[in-house]
This record gives sequence, structure tokens and C-alpha cells, in this order.
Amino acid sequence: MASLFRQPSHWLALLLLVLGRGMLPALAHPMPNSLVLLTVHPQRLEAEVHLPLGELQPAFQYPVADSTAGLVQRWGPQLRQYLTQHMRVQSTDGRYWGLQVSDLVVQHQANELNGPYNEVVASLHLLPPPGAEVRHFVLRYDAIVHQVVTHKILVSVRQDWAAGQVAEDATPTQVGVIGMDVINSVIPPLAVNLTAGSPWTGFAAMVKLGIRHIAEGIDHLLFLLALLLPAPLLVAGRRWGGYGGPRYSLRRLLLLVTSFTLGHSLTLLLGTLGWVRLPTQPVEALIAVSILVAAAHAVRPLFPGRETWVAAGFGLVHGLAFASTLATLHLEAGPLALSLLGFNVGIELMQLLVVGLTMPWLLLLACTSYYKYVRLGGAVLAGLAATAWLVERLSGDSNALTRALATAVPHAPWLLASLAIGSVVLYLRRPRLA
Amino acid sequence: MLHRLRISLAVGAMLVTSLVACKKDDTTTTTTSSSNSNPDPITVSACTSTATGIAKIVCLADAFKSQLDGTQVSTLQRTYAVSDAKKWSNLPQGLVQSSSKRVGLNFGSMTSAQIQYAKALIKEVSGTTTNEGWDEMQQLLNADDYLAANGGGSSTYGAANYYIAFLGTPATTGTFEIQFGGHHLAFANTYKDGVLTGATPSFRGVEPFATFTLNGTSNQPLQQEAAAFSAMLTGLSSTNQTAAKLSQTYSDLVAGPGQDGTFPSTSVGVKGSSLSASEKALVVAAMKTYVYDTDDTNAATILATYTSELDNTYVAYSGTTAMTTRNDYVRIDGPHVWIEYSCQNGIVLSGTHPHSVWRDKSKDYGGN
Repeated sequence: MASLFRQPSHWLALLLLVLGRGMLPALAHPMPNSLVLLTVHPQRLEAEVHLPLGELQPAFQYPVADSTAGLVQRWGPQLRQYLTQHMRVQSTDGRYWGLQVSDLVVQHQANELNGPYNEVVASLHLLPPPGAEVRHFVLRYDAIVHQVVTHKILVSVRQDWAAGQVAEDATPTQVGVIGMDVINSVIPPLAVNLTAGSPWTGFAAMVKLGIRHIAEGIDHLLFLLALLLPAPLLVAGRRWGGYGGPRYSLRRLLLLVTSFTLGHSLTLLLGTLGWVRLPTQPVEALIAVSILVAAAHAVRPLFPGRETWVAAGFGLVHGLAFASTLATLHLEAGPLALSLLGFNVGIELMQLLVVGLTMPWLLLLACTSYYKYVRLGGAVLAGLAATAWLVERLSGDSNALTRALATAVPHAPWLLASLAIGSVVLYLRRPRLA
Repeated sequence: MLHRLRISLAVGAMLVTSLVACKKDDTTTTTTSSSNSNPDPITVSACTSTATGIAKIVCLADAFKSQLDGTQVSTLQRTYAVSDAKKWSNLPQGLVQSSSKRVGLNFGSMTSAQIQYAKALIKEVSGTTTNEGWDEMQQLLNADDYLAANGGGSSTYGAANYYIAFLGTPATTGTFEIQFGGHHLAFANTYKDGVLTGATPSFRGVEPFATFTLNGTSNQPLQQEAAAFSAMLTGLSSTNQTAAKLSQTYSDLVAGPGQDGTFPSTSVGVKGSSLSASEKALVVAAMKTYVYDTDDTNAATILATYTSELDNTYVAYSGTTAMTTRNDYVRIDGPHVWIEYSCQNGIVLSGTHPHSVWRDKSKDYGGN
């Protein structure tokens, strides 16, 4: 699942699904609606405004519904002007907000309700006047509706950090609909009053997001677990030897987890601040490679004694993937610092939980002669998963194995339970080692 | 013209495709309908000796129920609630928001014999004019079967996805509504103590708009509505036509599903009192294409009321007078009558398709 969300193409498809199916039927309206999707920052708003071209045409004096080719080049300035003429944001004290139209793009939409259609999507920056509240305002927006009186504009909040709304796949929260009041023949402005938010709510939401990220991003866990598999063992020449004892095992375990954490925390910080940024695809592919390397190491010691460095090194790669999640939220400095902390705390909590729930049983098994099979079995499974992910991330298409993995994740607790029971049984029945 | 030609060509191409597809089936089946959920013609022998009017309606309603099992009856028969009456839509059931989904029994969960009893009842309470009343509704069912077979898919479209419900028990006393609808169709007859108290809201839309053939039958359920509106508008004097023309654009209906009681406080367009007798006659002709969907006796009474109120009835339109191009819109807005028609882009097929609604400002849902 996590890899699905991290791929922009899937992300967009999901968003379209949410917008297309989730919201539109609410009005039983067969024509495509306009959308206003708000992102709430502490000091400002961003609005993504969707205008279906077929509906826009009668309201806009230039031809836009004929062809989408070069539309932004042809009518960009006119579209910007039209939007600034038809949107006013007003504080409760009556002062108007600053408004700036940045990006304009044209995108194709299709759903069962409306059939296929094209729309222009504009990004707007909305800045309240000094001292004015960002969470309480009146939206005076009548693009299209001023002419096409049957048109509807759905206004939703897509992201609101202070209210804890940060999950990238969450359904936008509808705050109102702008349309013609048929009885009185006026277009009433929309008063938006967002519930009070707080930095604590934002922080807690980021902890949750971090936890979820690891819970769903089994690739990160699989890397760590594969690396931990041979941790309790001594090296005997070019092979893994016997159990190194509880002290040895715990020390190595702690070192590996800490160095992985240090590695990914560093790049999470650097990546989120924008100091280091790599394209998603190679990072995701490298993560799959990291699991493959860890799995191979669990079969035969490839880098005995240097595991902590490998853990830290690959930690750097995993951290870059975490950073891309935070980067998509486009947070401001204050929330960003808290988010970094919260997100990382969430990641570490989940990671510790999984290590804490898994390792005791592996340590028990490590005292038995069966551990060889557990280690090799685990390494082969991790290697297979890593190969499947690598193929998926290089080709851009999911395969049977990655789809199966995604459906298997919810059953992980059962796997853990059987591991626990199995390890206790095998431990009690173990033939004593010499 | 070019646009129309394109529509005809597209529909023609689809017909050829569907005919080729049908040929394969014809070797194995000889049914007269497209599927088990849309039997046509109707053969029901019940209530033939019962005279007419409410007695026959109750008789046919009981006959229909006698064909159903207990579970089906409990799904069909509900206690009267105006909140259920308001659950109608222009959308296929699958696309209606869960809180507004139609109640009642769908054709897909009935046998062909049971559906014939349902149809016999609806036919009894509908008008007998060609291309209006029951004939129109049968053609709308055919249109949805056509959509199902030509890109829409049978899980969303087709006669199987149409619903019938009894809100209140059909009887000569008390209140009940016979509710029937599905994609592009809403029929709502409300009776109180044996008298029809409301024949609205009544929604009609169709895709494909152009004439299509289904199992050898030609269908054009709403073309005469479009033609009547067009004749009404082109029949206006240039002064009256200018007065009727609205500067705003209508891409859909104003008083569609969920928009109960939302009529403008100030009517717009040309007022009936400024119309000549011949212009008025064209307005009446246009109203007939909706009022005549009701059984002939009640239709005459309703039409008489609407006709008597013509001087205070407004005609307004937007777009072109053809009523076949996108954003063509027309409205008849009187003290009681509210008829709206909007031409829109196709959803499943290419070309335009109309939506329309007939409401009565005081008698929707029987005034409840």
C-alpha cells in the first residue's frame, strides 16, 4: 500500500477517484461541478480551483472548450484575470485578502456520472490582511455560476495541519456549496468557519501519519527485520555460526536499529528542508535493493562487523522516501519543525513496536538448531519480496507478487502470533546445543 | 445540421453494431424483449371485469402483490412518508447517494411475470397517447436497455435497475403513492381517498435522444417534447421571443431531484397575457406532452387548470430554439405548472440528451 501511495501516478488516480465518485453524487447533479480545494496553513490558504471547460465556456468570452491543446498558453492571462475578478476572500471584519493565481494546468477527467470531460485547474495563494484570522472568512466566488446559473461549486478542505487533517489519501472535508439561490435569484457568499486547530493536534496527526507510514510501508520493516535476522549469530569463517548469547545479540540489535534510525532521520530532515532531493523512483528502487542486500547478508555474511554502517547507509535512502511524504504537504516553517519531529516519533514508535514484538521470538529461536531454517526462510521471502518490488518500481507496473504482498499486510498479526507460538514450542523442545 | 448529422451517423453506427450483436442471440432466443426485466407487450389477465378508476387501480395493485412472495411485498409496500416520496432521481440507482436511493422493489429482483403485473398497474394510471404516458415510459425502459448494451453496462443501466414502490397501501380510502422510477424517469401518482391529488414530480430524460431500434421496435420517447417546445418558441412573435429569451445559461434543470419547492419568487420570460391565441395554443400543446403522461381523465382536469391560468404563466428559454443543442433550455412557469427542459451532453453516448421535469407548485407529492 505504501508504495502505491508514494507513486505520483497512483496518487493522482486515487485523488480523482475520491473527487469523482466520493463527492459528485452528493448533489445528484449530472453536470461536472467546480471544485475549490483548500489547504489551510497557519498564516495563509492555498486553493486549488477546478473549472470544467464545457461549463466555463458560456461564462468565459474566449474559446476554451474547443481544444485543450496549448490552452494555458493561449488564454492563461485571461483565465488568471477571470479568476481574480470572480474570487474575493473577505475577513470577518470586512477587509479583503490578497489573491494571486500561480499555476494553471488542464486535465482530463472521466467518471460514470459525467462521462469524460476536461477541466482547467488553477492554484491560488490567498493571504489574509495583517491580524486577520485564517480560519474564519467569507468566500465570494462566482466563476461560471454568474452565467451558468445551474452550475455548482463544491468547496472542501483538503489539508488542515492544525486540525490534524494531513493524510494524503483522506477524502476532502466539504465545507459548503456555492450556487444560485433559485428562489431569490442571488449567489450567496460562503461563510467558512473552520474548527479551532492547535499545534498539538497537528503534531499528534503527524505522529499518527508516521506510525501509519511504517505500518503500511512494509518495505522499511522488511529491510530492518532482514538485517536483524543474523544479528544474534556469530560469524564462523564465511558462514553464519552459532548463537552469540543474549548480551551479544541485544547489543548488535540495538546498534543496528539506532544506526538505521540515525540514517533515516538525517535524510528525513535534509529531504524535508529541500536540501537533498532525489526523484522518487530511484529512491524507491534503492529501497528494494537494500532489502535484497540485507536478505543476501542473512544467507551468508557479506559485510560482517560492518552491519551498522550498512544500516546507517541504507537508512539514508529510506529517510529520503519519508521526506517525500512530508514534502508533499508543503508545510510552513513552524508546523514543519513540529511535523518533522512528530512524523519521526511516529516512525520510531512503530519501528520499535515491531522490533519489540518480533525479536524476542527470533532470539528464542536463535538458541535452537532450527534457527538456520528460520533465517534462510526469512531471507528467501524477503529477497523474493524485494525482487518483486524492484521490478514494480523500475517498470512502473505492479505485478502479482506485489499485489499479493499488499493484500497480505493486514494478516501480519496472525503471522506474528504463529511466530510467537512456534518459537516457544521449538524452544521448549530444542535439542541442547553443545 | 452538421451536428445532427454526426449524431445520426454515430447512432447509426451503434445500431449496426447492436444488430450484428443481436443476430448471434437470435439463434438461441426468440423473446420479444431485450431481457427478462423488460417484458413487452404486457399480458395480464387480472381485473379485466373491474370497471375503471380507483377500483381498478386498487384491484391491479392487489393483483400485483398477489404475484409476489412475502419478502417482495414487504420491500414494495411501505407506510406513507413524504421523505420516501422525495427519494427519486434522474440518475441510475447505482450512482445515487446512499441516503437518497429509491425505495421499493427493482425489476431485476422480479420474474418476468411479476414485472408484467407491475407494468400493467403503471400503465393503468398513465396516459394512452402515443409517445406519452405508458408508451413513453416503455420506450424509456428500452432506452436504458439500449444504454446497458451499448457502453453503459448492465450493472448500472437497464430495466432491471428500475424501482416500483407503494408508499401507503393502495385503497379507496387513505393516502398512497405509486412511485416508479430509474435512470431518466420518475413517476409519482399520489392518491387520497380514491382521488388523484398529485401526478408530480415527474421526471423524463433520455439517452439516446435520436431514434433507436431495440429488438425491432423503433423508439423516440422525448422527440415530440423537444418538437413541441421548439414549435412553441419559434411560434412566438419576435417581440415575445425576445422577451422570453434569458441572458443566463442553463446547463441543467433548476428544480431537479432534491430541489423540492425551489421555484423563483419572481417569474421570468414572456408573460402569457402578452401571447396571442395561437401562441397560447402552442404553449398548451407543449404542456400536453407532460400532462398527458397522466391517465387521460385526470390529465384533462389538470390541463384545464393550467390552461385557465395561461395569462399568468411565463415562458422563458435560453440557448437556441431548436431544443436539441447543448444548453438549450426552456421553462413554462405558471401559478401551478412548472415544466423545465434542458439539453445536455451525452454521458454514455456521444451527442446531446434532454432532461426535463414537470412539477406542480402546490400538488407535488399530492400536496404533502
